[in-house]
Amino acid sequence: MTGKPYRLPAGVAGGTMGRSIDRIQRLSFSFDGKTFAGHPGDTVASAMMASGVRLFGRSFKYHRPRGVIGSAADEPNALISVGAGARHEPNLRATQVELFDGLVARSQNNWPSLNWDVGAFNSKLSRLFPAGFYYKTFMWPASAWMFYEHIIRRAAGLGTAPTRPDPDTYEHMHATCDVLVVGGGVAGLAAAQAAASTGARVMLAEETARFGGSADISGGTIDGKPQTEWAGSVAADLAKADNVHLLPRTIAAGHFHQNWCLLLERVSDHDPSLADGGAPRHRLWRVRAKEIVLASGALERPIAFANNDRPGVLLASAARTFIARYGVSPGTRGVVFTNNDDAYRTALALTQAGVSVPRLVDTRANPEGALIDLARDAGIDIATGTAVTNVEASGGGRNIEAVKVAPYQHGGRIAGGEERIDCDFVCVSGGFNPVAHLYCHTSGKLRFDETLQTFRPGETNDALRVVGAANGTFDLADGLKEAFDGGIAAAKSALGASAKSASAGKAPKAASEHEGALEPVWFVPATGTLNEGNKHFIDFQNDVTAADLELAVREGYRSVEHIKRYTTLGMATDQGKTSNINALGVLTDTLQSPIPQIGTTTFRPPYTPISMGAITGTKTKRLFQPVRRTPPYQWHLDNGADFEPVGQWRRPYSYLRNGEDREAAIKREILATRRAVALLDASTLGKIELKGPDAGEFLDRIYSNIFSSLKIGKARYGLMLNEDGFLMDDGVTVRLGDDHFLMHTTSGGSDRIAGWLEEWLQTEWFDLKVFVTPVTEQWAQFALAGPKARKVLEKLDSNIDFSAEGFEFLSMKEGTLAGHPVRAFRISFSGELSYEIATPADYGMSLWTTFLEAGREFGIEAYGTEALHILRAEKGFIVVGDESDGTVTPIDLGLNWAVSKKKPDYLGKRSLQRPHQSAEGRKQLVGLLTEDPQQVLPDGAYAVAQVKDAPPMDMIGQVTSTYWSPTLERSIAMALIEDGRNRMGDVLEFPLEGGEVMRAKVVEPIFYDREGERQNG
Amino acid sequence: MLLITCPVCGVEGDETEFHAGGEAHIKRPATTDPENVTDEAQRDYLYMRKNPRGIHFERWMCARGCGKWFHAARDTVTMEFKAFYGAREPAPDLGGTASPKAATPRKTAARRKKAGGA
Amino acid sequence: MADAKLIGALAHRGDVERQPGLSITLKVVTGRGMIDLRGNAADAKFMAAAKSAIGVALPTAPRTSATKGDVTVLWLSIDQWLVTLPREKLTKTFAALRKKTEGMFALATDMSDARTVIRLSGDGAREVLMKGTSVDMLAPDVIQGTVRRMLFAEIAAACHVVGAEPDVLDLYVFRSYADYAWEWLLATARSGARVRLYGPQDIPTT
Ligand SMILES: [Zn+2]
Repeated sequence: MTGKPYRLPAGVAGGTMGRSIDRIQRLSFSFDGKTFAGHPGDTVASAMMASGVRLFGRSFKYHRPRGVIGSAADEPNALISVGAGARHEPNLRATQVELFDGLVARSQNNWPSLNWDVGAFNSKLSRLFPAGFYYKTFMWPASAWMFYEHIIRRAAGLGTAPTRPDPDTYEHMHATCDVLVVGGGVAGLAAAQAAASTGARVMLAEETARFGGSADISGGTIDGKPQTEWAGSVAADLAKADNVHLLPRTIAAGHFHQNWCLLLERVSDHDPSLADGGAPRHRLWRVRAKEIVLASGALERPIAFANNDRPGVLLASAARTFIARYGVSPGTRGVVFTNNDDAYRTALALTQAGVSVPRLVDTRANPEGALIDLARDAGIDIATGTAVTNVEASGGGRNIEAVKVAPYQHGGRIAGGEERIDCDFVCVSGGFNPVAHLYCHTSGKLRFDETLQTFRPGETNDALRVVGAANGTFDLADGLKEAFDGGIAAAKSALGASAKSASAGKAPKAASEHEGALEPVWFVPATGTLNEGNKHFIDFQNDVTAADLELAVREGYRSVEHIKRYTTLGMATDQGKTSNINALGVLTDTLQSPIPQIGTTTFRPPYTPISMGAITGTKTKRLFQPVRRTPPYQWHLDNGADFEPVGQWRRPYSYLRNGEDREAAIKREILATRRAVALLDASTLGKIELKGPDAGEFLDRIYSNIFSSLKIGKARYGLMLNEDGFLMDDGVTVRLGDDHFLMHTTSGGSDRIAGWLEEWLQTEWFDLKVFVTPVTEQWAQFALAGPKARKVLEKLDSNIDFSAEGFEFLSMKEGTLAGHPVRAFRISFSGELSYEIATPADYGMSLWTTFLEAGREFGIEAYGTEALHILRAEKGFIVVGDESDGTVTPIDLGLNWAVSKKKPDYLGKRSLQRPHQSAEGRKQLVGLLTEDPQQVLPDGAYAVAQVKDAPPMDMIGQVTSTYWSPTLERSIAMALIEDGRNRMGDVLEFPLEGGEVMRAKVVEPIFYDREGERQNG
Repeated sequence: MLLITCPVCGVEGDETEFHAGGEAHIKRPATTDPENVTDEAQRDYLYMRKNPRGIHFERWMCARGCGKWFHAARDTVTMEFKAFYGAREPAPDLGGTASPKAATPRKTAARRKKAGGA
Repeated sequence: MADAKLIGALAHRGDVERQPGLSITLKVVTGRGMIDLRGNAADAKFMAAAKSAIGVALPTAPRTSATKGDVTVLWLSIDQWLVTLPREKLTKTFAALRKKTEGMFALATDMSDARTVIRLSGDGAREVLMKGTSVDMLAPDVIQGTVRRMLFAEIAAACHVVGAEPDVLDLYVFRSYADYAWEWLLATARSGARVRLYGPQDIPTT
């Protein structure tokens, strides 16, 4: 695994190599448990290559040894996991991971180890892994899947997910800008500078830590300066500007409708010490841009030749990057293989760095131009009309010994004998593909460019411009001009008349070597047979070869979309960055039709994977979701409340005292209510004020019963139906004044019902003059229930007469109580003598404790929601959502008295008359008493017409509420049963899991105080 | 993430600041003549909705702004909004502005043909 | 008998003014009374009645506010305002409003306890809010006096720009969500997580 150190000496080429690293400082890191050294500015890939490491992982299907191919996001092979334990993150590209001291990295897809690899048996048996392997294997026999999956998942190399909670923090950030520039290369810098000069607010997202893109490997000058110098000064100006925001280490992951973009900023991955100061690990930006300039550059593509996946075969631009940026050579002796001029720069850079280039192999018969002349002048041995046809390697494919080259004829034929050239690495260039991913995310369709032999952006509906190499404009001067003009145009379009035009700068002038045309080469036939057959890899990450594509075609696949799915081409984490166009190139030969007719390629978000943590952002743990607290929340917390979520509210389910269990606590709370007095926090009840001359009429249309006749100071229970005629909400509404009402809704319905009322006023009954103001949050509200409730109130200082005569059932009074301003209601959901007292929320805690103090001598208890539910069930009161489920009418529930026959119209009335809803024998609400009073029916249990040995059985209804009643010391239940009211006295059977059958008698749905005398106190 | 402008208060914002309310311009038959609503009219009112390829007139509410309902015309192909208008206003005539791909659906064309032949 | 005590939604957080490790200052604004007022802005009689009761003309331009002395009126909708004033003045003003709008199509409700007001002050306060809202708080039209209702951290909220340079922003959230909103702000206002959007930045690497 080790080899020669490949870090170039500092003095090489006049000290120009390794410009990104700080050679003085040293950093230590580990890979698979072994310690390595690097420098600040290195990536894991460059530091390991500098240490002589080439083997980074094993391939997905065949477990062939794999090394680095690219230098950025396109890297398909060198996937590593970084961090230990809960901080472990899989599937990172070693070429993008910035080195820091103490970094811990591991290889993936190496079971049981990187060097000794049992998965390699797959290579020997590769005929078993052709295209469609997964489909064919797992179609039959189905039972074998478990076995295959176990083996393949273990051997497959997509890393493992951490198992412990993520200790890092993440956050979201929103931003709006006039112009979002994606890509911080020279084109992006030019576009941002142009846009910013008009006064526009500009954001510039760059995937890496540095701006300038390929400036340091491309030669040429801008405004007379070397590209890097120009980039440095523009980036510095942009950083200083107060209308520009630079985002290094930020990928533009997705582009969505109306120019909404998701950006992932890796804030502290490169320096975990930042997290100690409170920095998030990642920040997800949600950016709305008026205009977008896409300057995301281009990625080099390889050429498919036999054994082109051997570690040491890498892209020509990547080799140049490793030399220029990190001072790392891929080896000591490298053959350059190209079909275009750009790779000549790599040959020149290698030569300058003192690395031997035994041959520059060019498929073109007669390449001409400045770069070719420079190479010749540098004494490089150029073989034209020639191609690399195979790679010879030793050590199980890990060490390149030589390449085979042979004369190559236009169109892909080998026309002569092979020659062997000793070398230990190969730089390959098949041309460049624009990175136009974001252009495709909403609607952009790529079109094929015959000259460039690649897909490039065309028209789009979006306010998005693609410039520079991303648009296929590879010439430096042309690309810069396009970028600058794009930046100006985008800003003007975003700003309209307010754009500053006078201050707009001049377009930068660039000069670079003119480049000749490339020759399309997708596939080079092999000469000789080396190693385990001559695989020509197209998709390195998914191990898809040219032969796999040909097989798919032979098996009848024609559409590229089908071929992709059949072969898994382009489906891995790299989303086909290096493979898509090459695959089309290979298919063009096989299908004998030009690329545009085979199909196109498209890209879906995200551009590169984004972390789950970033998607979650701040919304974890205590901020997982908004939580609502009532005014006495702290008292509940301090007094054993066992909270349950009710919508976003947290309500005490019961109060556990001195080690009580729930059952004991609930019993204590219920018996206190029935025998003495108890206090419920009912602040979550929805409260809505309605006022206006038409308020009464409006309520008559909203409720199924009549409210316009209600007297001032009186209260009435009402039912709300939806337009389907089904019960939607219920509650008590009070008339505060002639034109003024206070409505109560269910706890869950408060926001929804306020919206429902507004909707009808705004969109249907325009003529009705009613204002609706939700006031739930203003009031704390408590139910004081039990035979001694009045005694508690009468102890307190008040201007309200709480006596039976002075305060009738279903009425309301305003006044003060122990110094608290209150609204008092005589309503009862427990069946006991009960007052509901509302006070402004900030008085809530004070009134709550005042009641408990005053009630102590009477044995007062606080009660929670479960006691509340049992108390109401004992009385047969319904709960919307238990007894109703959106398919239940008030008639089904026996609430006919609350359904007006007189009113011509109210919401839901017409639907109640529909045949199905007015039919006889619908499911109707009944009470149930189990034959064995100790048995409690399970919630939701089904009654059947006849019990059989096994399902299916005819179901005739289901249990809606079921409890053990401490008051009655037996079980009680309510149920919706077909034709239930005609089954009074019948015994129904409820088959349960495990064969048990419970039997229960149908009774009226009321179990306690049928005459309703208790509530009158 | 759609970008929406409220015609009532003029605020422009992400769709998360708004609430979508489905198809617009649906008449509630019971409002005008509650005694004479047929089962079919009630069914159509409750359940029958358009799902056009092209311009869709729909209801939105400025949920996090002024709280008012309004109407919008949206091209379901490009997701582009063509108009925002008041809750009491009729649908605007957007004749030539529908997306080019959003041509008359085949079904409608066929029905016309049939009518023509009858 | 026990005294009636006013206890705010964030009282349990103790001394909330000192928050170490934050990039901005957070505090709870207390002692304010608030009245939610609904009425027809086109009805001159209503507008005059409201003005004479409150002492400030109701602002009619969307997303604005009007202040006179210690009374501020926030625009909430085309027919809705939030009047904020010292709590001592509440009873009198509320009674005056009800009296002067009597018989009119209007609705005044005392909402003094319905909302908790959290004040964010200092450079970068707008960016802290923007971690929880898609509203562009840096837009040129967000100036002193601006009122923006918004979805903030998945809850309904409104931001009143009390002062600019340095920023003083009052965030109005419903009372039941106050503790959640406070927790959110503590999490997103950490010094190390500070974002200064569009401000001068360190010279980047090239
Ligand atoms: Zn609005």
